[in-house]
Formats: sequence, C-alpha cells, structure tokens
Amino acid sequence: MSEYIIEMKGITKRFPGIVANDNVSISVKKGEIYALLGENGAGKSTLMSMLFGMYEPDEGEIWVRGEKVKLANPAEAASLGIGMVHQHFKLVQNYTIAENIVLGIEPKKRLLGFLPAVDIKKANRDIAELSKRYGLEVDPTQKIEDVGVSVQQRVEILKMLYREAEILIFDEPTAMLTPQEIEFLLQIIRELRAGGKTIILITHKLEEIKQVADRCAVLNRGKLIDVIDAATTTTKQMANMMVGREVDTEIEKAEARFGEEVLRVEGLTVSGSGGVDAVRNVSFSVRAGEIFAVAGVSGNGQVELADAIAGLAKASGGKIILDGEDITKTDVRARIKKGISYIPEDRQNFGLVLDFDLADNLALKSYFDEPFSKHGMLRRAEFVKHGERLIEQYDIRSGQGVNTQVRSMSGGNQQKAIIAREIELQSKLMIFVQPTRGLDIGAIENIHRQILLERDAGRAVLLISLELDEVMALADTIGVIYRGEISKIAPASELTSRQVGEYMMGVTK
Amino acid sequence: MSKGGFRRAVLKVFGGERRQSITVPIFAVLLSLVAASILLLALGKNPITAFLGMLRGCGIVPKANYAANAGMLTDFMSFLGWLAPMTFAALAVAVAFKTGLFNIGISGQMLLGGFFATVVALECTESVPAPLRLVLVLAIGIASGAAVGGLIGFLKYRFNINEVVSSIMLNYIIQYVTKFFIQMYYVDPVSRQSRYIDASWRLTVLDVQAFGVKFNIPLAVILVIPAILIVRMLLDRTKLGYEMKTVGLTRSAARYAGMNVGKNMVLSMLISGALAGLAGVSYYLGYYASIQPGVLASMGFDSIAVSLLGNSNPVGIFFSSFLITIVSKGATYMSSSASIPQEIAQVITGLILLFSACGVVMRSMLARLGEREREYQKSLAAPVESTPESTAEPPDTSAEARPTDTADMTDAKGGDR
Repeated sequence: MSEYIIEMKGITKRFPGIVANDNVSISVKKGEIYALLGENGAGKSTLMSMLFGMYEPDEGEIWVRGEKVKLANPAEAASLGIGMVHQHFKLVQNYTIAENIVLGIEPKKRLLGFLPAVDIKKANRDIAELSKRYGLEVDPTQKIEDVGVSVQQRVEILKMLYREAEILIFDEPTAMLTPQEIEFLLQIIRELRAGGKTIILITHKLEEIKQVADRCAVLNRGKLIDVIDAATTTTKQMANMMVGREVDTEIEKAEARFGEEVLRVEGLTVSGSGGVDAVRNVSFSVRAGEIFAVAGVSGNGQVELADAIAGLAKASGGKIILDGEDITKTDVRARIKKGISYIPEDRQNFGLVLDFDLADNLALKSYFDEPFSKHGMLRRAEFVKHGERLIEQYDIRSGQGVNTQVRSMSGGNQQKAIIAREIELQSKLMIFVQPTRGLDIGAIENIHRQILLERDAGRAVLLISLELDEVMALADTIGVIYRGEISKIAPASELTSRQVGEYMMGVTK
Repeated sequence: MSKGGFRRAVLKVFGGERRQSITVPIFAVLLSLVAASILLLALGKNPITAFLGMLRGCGIVPKANYAANAGMLTDFMSFLGWLAPMTFAALAVAVAFKTGLFNIGISGQMLLGGFFATVVALECTESVPAPLRLVLVLAIGIASGAAVGGLIGFLKYRFNINEVVSSIMLNYIIQYVTKFFIQMYYVDPVSRQSRYIDASWRLTVLDVQAFGVKFNIPLAVILVIPAILIVRMLLDRTKLGYEMKTVGLTRSAARYAGMNVGKNMVLSMLISGALAGLAGVSYYLGYYASIQPGVLASMGFDSIAVSLLGNSNPVGIFFSSFLITIVSKGATYMSSSASIPQEIAQVITGLILLFSACGVVMRSMLARLGEREREYQKSLAAPVESTPESTAEPPDTSAEARPTDTADMTDAKGGDR
C-alpha cells in the first residue's frame, strides 16, 4: 500500500468563467495534519468538495488508500471514511445534539417488541461516551438552538467521529471562534491526530498553520504554488506565496487626531427576538477622527446595535445622540440626511437591490433629492453621471458599466459599490458592520485603507467586526460586546487581543 | 454532440435575456395553440377552423356572412370594447406586482367600481348635465377601486395581513353586498340583472352608422394608450416608481434606504385598485350596461395571465392583452361556428391562459440551458495552458445571490423583516 492515504492527481475543475482548480496534485499521509492555504477563491474549498464527493473533477484522479476511486456523492465519500466539518454548520436547530449526531444512522429499537423506533437513550449514552473519549464535551440532550457556535462545531466534529470517519476535512473551522476557542479547537485537532486520524485543514490563517500543521499546500488562483513544511517556513513567506506578491501584513496607521464627539449612545436597549433584549443598556461615544470598534462573538447584539443607530431597529430604551441632537425617535431617512452612513452586514438583502443596475444602486440613498429627482420625476442622466464617476473613482469592476445588474457582480465589487455610495454621502458618522466578510486579501487591504482614510478625514467611524484581527488592526478605541452589553471600553493600545478575547467570551468582566 | 447542437439551436432561437422577453411569450402562445389543437383533434374538430372562428368573432378575419347591418367593423369595435377593460385590469396587476404585491382581487374592485358608477347612473339619471356624466362615472369607478386597493394595502402594512387572503375575502364581500343591493333596489324583473342604464351614461357611442354597417364605438379604448404610457412613466421615470420597485425587489433594502415601505405598499395597491376600478367602469358601463348580481367577472382573473404574459411590462401588456382578448372574446363565436361545446371553448381558453403564464418557468429553464452551454464552451475553449489570471472574477454565486427565476411570485408574498 502506498504511504499516502489520499492522493489527488492532476485535478482540474472548471466553472463557468473560471478555472477553480488547474492541474492540482496533493498527497496526504496517514496521521498527518495537512493544511490547504489560499485566499478566498483560490480553489481550496472546490478541491476538498471533490474529495468529499460534492463535485466530480473534469480531469484528474483521486486515490484513497492506494486505490483509485470515483466519488459521485458525499455518501460514497463517507463510506470511505471521509468526513467534512463545513464552515456553515449543517445542523437541525430544534433537534438535540444527540439527535443531530445520529441523524440518518439512528440506533433502533422495537417498541412493544415490534414498533420500530429510535433508541434515543442509547444515542445519548453513545454520544456522552464518544465526547468523553475525544475530550469534546457536550450535553447530548441540549438543543442546537440553545448552544453557542463553538459547541455546534464540536457537534459537527462528533458527527464525523460517530460515523467513524478517518479522514476529517475542516473548512475554515476558526472563522467564527474567539482566540481561546481557537486554541481549544487546535488542541482537539492535535489529539485527533494522536488518535490516528488524518486531518485536512482549509484555512487562510497563517498562525494556525504554524501551530498545528505538518505540511501545507499553498494555492493561488486555482494553481498549486508549493507544498511546504510548516515548521520551517515563516508566516511572511507563506503570505507572499498565498497572495503571489509581497504583502504588508501591518497596515500603516497614522496617529489619530480626535475631534468633537459625534455620536453618543446612552443606556441604549433594543429588544430582540424571543423576549430577550438583544442590546442592553449600552453606552459609549465616538469622536470625529476616531475608529471605535465593537468586538464580539457573532450574535451578541452587534447587528441590532448598528440597526438601532441607523434607525432600522427601534430603541426600547435609552438615547442616541448625533452631533448634539437626540435622534432616537427619528426615522431612517432623517438620520441619513443628518449624517449617518451605514455599510450593513448583509450586503445582498440590505445594502443593495440585486436586480437593479449599478446606477440605480449607487443612488439608493440620494435619489430623492436634487439633482437626481425633481418634482417627483427622476433624472436618469444624473444617475448615469453619478454612477460613472463612482465607478471610476472607486474602481468598481463591472461588465457593462452603470447598466450592469448588480447581481452579476462579484462580492468584492458589490461591497466596493456600497462603500463608494456611503462615503459619497459625506456623513459625519460611518457605521461599518463586517465590512470585509467573505472578501479576499487584496479587497480587505483596500477597504481597511479606505476606513482609515475616512477616519483621517475627520469622520467618526463605528466598526463592528467579528474578526478580532480586523478590530486590533484598525481600532483606536475598543468596546467589547457580550450578550448585548458592552463589557469593556478601552483605548486599543491598552488591550491585547488575548484580553479582548476573554471579554468576548465573558470570562473576564 | 447532437444534444449540444439542440441546446445551441434552442438558445439561438430564444436569443439573449433581452430578446427572451419577446421570444418566450411568443413560444408560450404557440405551445398553448398546439395543446389546444391536440384537444380539438381528439374531439374530431379542425383546429384551424376553430382558431379562425376566434379571429372571426373578434372582427379580425371576415365571417362568411353577416346579419343585416352588421359587418367586420361591428365585431372589431365590440372586440375593442372588451380589450380596453382587459388592458386596464392587466395594468392593475402589473403595478401591484412591481411592488411585490399580488392583487388577485381585481374582479372585486372592478365590480365595486362598476356598481357605484351604475348606482349613480341609475339614481341621477337627469340631474347631471350630460357632458359631465362620463367624467363622473369614471371618477366614481376609479375612486371606489382605489379605496378597495388602498384598504388591502393598508391591511398589509398595518396588520401584516397577506394581500392575497384579504383581497379574496374582499372579493366575496363585494360580490354579495352588491348582489344584495342590486336585487333589493336596482333589479330588472325580467332580466334578473340590474336595470339598464341610460345610453347617455354609457362609455359607448351606440349604433353608429358608417361604411354601410352599424356598430358601437367603445370610448374607454381612447384611454388605453394613455393608461399604458402613464403606468410606464410611473414605473420608470418617477421617484414613486423607483421606490415601489425597490420595495418590490428587496424590501429590506428599501427600509435601509429610508423608504417608507408601508406608504409605498398602500400607494401601489391604491393605484392598482384605481386601474381596476377604471376597468370595472369600462366593463360594466361600456361593454355591458348592467350588472349580473353575484357574479365576478372572469376578466379580473384572466388579466393576471395577461400581465404575466406581458412580463408585467406596460408595453408588453398591450400586446398580450390583444392576444388574450382574442381568445376570451372569440371563444363564443368559435363555439357556435365550429359547433364546439361552450365548455370545451372554455377549456381551450383556460389552456391558453395556463401556458401563457408559464413564461417564468421557461425563462428559468433557458437560463439553466445557457449556463450549461457556457460551461461547455469554456471546456472547449480552455487551452492546455489555461490562464486563470486572465479570467474575470467569478460572479458571487452564494445561495442568496443566485437568481431565483421562479421566485418572483413567491417573493411577492414574503412578509416584512
């Protein structure tokens, strides 16, 4: 038998308009942690999807345990002991942890000796035992909707282990986790290796590779650049390989010059779903020329906080003061006019009308005033002029200029369009929520630079991000949100990312 | 390879996305004619004769012989009298549809508009100066349609009551309340319908004698082109239209942009109802001169198919309503001239409407076909040394970004965030 448990030979996969994998060959040894490094769109996930049976390669061969295989669907991959922990968990929210894990291969029993039924007690016992064996502690009887992201991830891992998977693929497993949770996960991955499992880790975080991986394949634009030894390669070298050019990992940031207070939030409370307040008694202020970053784990009230300030969600208590004026009771339009720009987290349902063209989208927040409209009539020529100027100025790439339907544009360019439109409003306050979500390194750099430019131009910036790296790189002041409350506010210089992580998890108060 | 050839041929015939808005409806109509032909052949009838019967009934193809004083022009004018309300009703559907609302209550709004206008015509027979009469009935019909539409919009906005449910319920209420009043106060004992209104209140010039034939001139048809142009301008050129379309396409984005979603929904339903009211006046006071109590005009439902066939585009609606009117108006003559039972004539009408509404599905099938073709072309074109650097950035194909071709209708019914 070959020394490799998995060999992918000369894999090519094409999608309309792009070659996702171009003659890529990788070989993974049994019992190693093999990392796949690359930017968004480099072809990591596509490559693994083929190993997992989601797609079939156009060219090339897949060998598992020394035998050539054809994987037509995930079930076939599973029968070969290949399991994947997806980036977006595939769990049934109102099932218990045990029910989710055994789903599809439930232990059976016979009620009254003949009625087939699921033996949920046995499932609970099995899972409790399994979770103890691998140090992945969960309560099998808890429902998924009641547990946090990191527990859900453990459930996904347990699901693979319950199916006795030998080869575990992790797709960006740390994207949603805090530093402490990441450390814990990496520890689990090491233990899985010690238990004889083979691990493939898809990631774009260099630190993690340094910490756990044995070897690392670097992909760039669908091509395999190199397979490196993780221990002897520096993160800087990896970054350059990944991007294909020299990158500045550090953003140059000028000294902040704070001006007048622009936004003050006093005791803000926003009700959430299920009778629990999403934002509770939050107070902070943002000055002109300051980036106030709100750090926190997803789902701790960040979106509701931003929506409340922008006017999309109602404040059930407290005050929002913009430029000395109480705007708590005013509507969205009044706040736009008073000077709030908002780059929302959900760019496709809030930031854009996907079926409108670029010209219409770029005027979404100014169409109601001259020169765009007069006496209730629109002036298309002004839309076009405005759109063309922004496309030029902000380098928005689109197939047919202002007439491009936004739906057909890439995520990065959609975000560029939103940011261009919001900057053009020349607002006093700019709210950025997850501005770089799902974008590649080049686009992220570009957006970070723009956020800093806006700060230096004297605007107050409220940055809400789940990416701790982003918060640490940009913030002048950090506020940590935990369960709807701001548990800590301090100048960025006084906090380490470790400390912020502790506040994010509610360990320190 | 032959399969690929077929795919290319199909794509070539239907053309790009822009051309598909014309080719797909035409194909849908042809398909419906084929289906109707199969049914007719199964019954042992000649489909050509049947379809010619439709055209003859509408005065587009001459009949073999005419009654005294009647001619092609008589039939054609009668056809126009049917075309006008059909177009208004389809425009009503389209305006609501652009705001993401589905006004299925057109019939009820037509009936209420027609009812109030008829009541005024019967009550004020002589007290209103003649020149004002038509303006008055139009205003009353439009206002009552608008009121019903506005109410549906308000219920949606204020209490989040699904507009489909509330408009169907209002249909019943209007149907039976007007039936009660007609039978109690306005009934003609002989015809069991509402009493005929005086000719001076009708949107029709009766018994014009010209070119050797006698015919009626439907006045509402004068308003067809202006109505189409106004709706088109409303949707494409006004601030209100921009807001309505934003609300219709992405309600959350409309809120984000500071638009008043509720106001736009109410306004859109109000305009839709007003157009339905206009349809009602031209139907009950133009084509007919009385109301059959307790009956909803099937035109109100046919107009949904007209709007779909015309892509909810005002200009498209002009053509589709012409076509559908031929079917719905010509069915009577077809059944009598080709001795096809009335019921079968209605089945054929239904088949044609059904296939006409299938354009949405066809377009999504074409989109998929196009994608497969592009993929195929790529795999042909990709040289051994492919250069991913030169390929364009791929479009964002995450689940929420993928075009949901068939979702138009369901989206329209989605609730507020």
